[in-house]
Amino acid sequence: MAAYALLRSMSSSFSSVLPLLSRSGSLSPAPLAVKTLFRRTLASSSRFSAALKFTDKHEWVRVEDDGIGTVGISNFAQEALGDVVYCGLPEVGTQLAQQDEFGALESVKAASELYSPLTGEVVEVNSLLADKPGLVNKSCYKDGWLMKMTIAKPAELDSLMDEAAYERYIRSIED
Amino acid sequence: MQGSRPLVRVVRLGLVSYQEGLRLQQVYVDRHRSGPAHSLLLCEHPPVYTTGIRHQPYPASRLDPLRLLGAEVHRANRGGLITFHGPGQLVCYPVLDLSGFRKSVRWYVAQLEKTVVSACGSLGVTATTSPHTGVWVGDNKICAMGIHCGRYVTSHGLALNCNTDLSWFSHIVPCGIEGKGVTSLSRELRRDVSVHEATPHLLAAFGEHFHCELSEDA
Repeated sequence: MAAYALLRSMSSSFSSVLPLLSRSGSLSPAPLAVKTLFRRTLASSSRFSAALKFTDKHEWVRVEDDGIGTVGISNFAQEALGDVVYCGLPEVGTQLAQQDEFGALESVKAASELYSPLTGEVVEVNSLLADKPGLVNKSCYKDGWLMKMTIAKPAELDSLMDEAAYERYIRSIED
Repeated sequence: MQGSRPLVRVVRLGLVSYQEGLRLQQVYVDRHRSGPAHSLLLCEHPPVYTTGIRHQPYPASRLDPLRLLGAEVHRANRGGLITFHGPGQLVCYPVLDLSGFRKSVRWYVAQLEKTVVSACGSLGVTATTSPHTGVWVGDNKICAMGIHCGRYVTSHGLALNCNTDLSWFSHIVPCGIEGKGVTSLSRELRRDVSVHEATPHLLAAFGEHFHCELSEDA
């Protein structure tokens, strides 16, 4: 989504650069310039896409460099649950529509449903959680991630809250 | 708390099969789609063993022998491990939208525990909570709990032993906790305490701990 747009604008600026280089008769610096520009742009795009987006049900999704979305629950959610003792997660290959139930977390004898932030296919599930479900509490944004999925409809990201909006949302709930 | 207290409708189902209980819970869960519709379902079940979302510890080979005892066996989408429901046990399924209370499952379960502790207290039984969810008298569980929460709407709930035949529990490790037993209001008070007697105490305690108004259909 964001990365793709950046690559597209970069390639359009190349078509204006390359004719200049070929006129000077030297082609070899151009590939190097391309590589450097490419890497620099990817680096800035990965900083951009590393931002978390949140649902109103306290799931977050982070778009990785490869366009895959990592999904987890927020700190607010893990505190409201209590100590997680079991993570019921989907099978790899499961197709999910935005807001579909994709699993449940158990804490204090309560099974709380999880809802997909986006439409896509489950490509990986965090296998560490089978033996260490508590990672969801201890490291909800990092080691306690729940699943990874493809992003079939990137526009859905716009319907999610950014960190600042989510913070405001939390405060409004707590009142 | 802001403004007026939430209204919770008490629904007395009587003796219903576990399956019928599940079906009715879903009916009351679905009512929340068109606005607040908090309900408290009360019932008793014929003998049934149920397991929760952690079904790996209970393969068919472990559950089938329980059927031979004359009980049904069901898997449920609630938290908690294996338990037993049967006549003489007050089963209560609060179908609440936590948005009308507090959006925390941890808070909700704690309030349910306090409700049962108060109800036991008003009947003369000193019960406590422990790191294991549920309500205890010493090392014996008097009330089991296991709930489900989806889109803030709760289902499943609690099961308080009034004059339950506790021998049904000897065929399982209740809630997967080794070394602990079960008890009932009747056992603790050494007299018969029926579901009918215990129910008003539970309802009063619920109204108190959830700061809500309970209404009964005519």
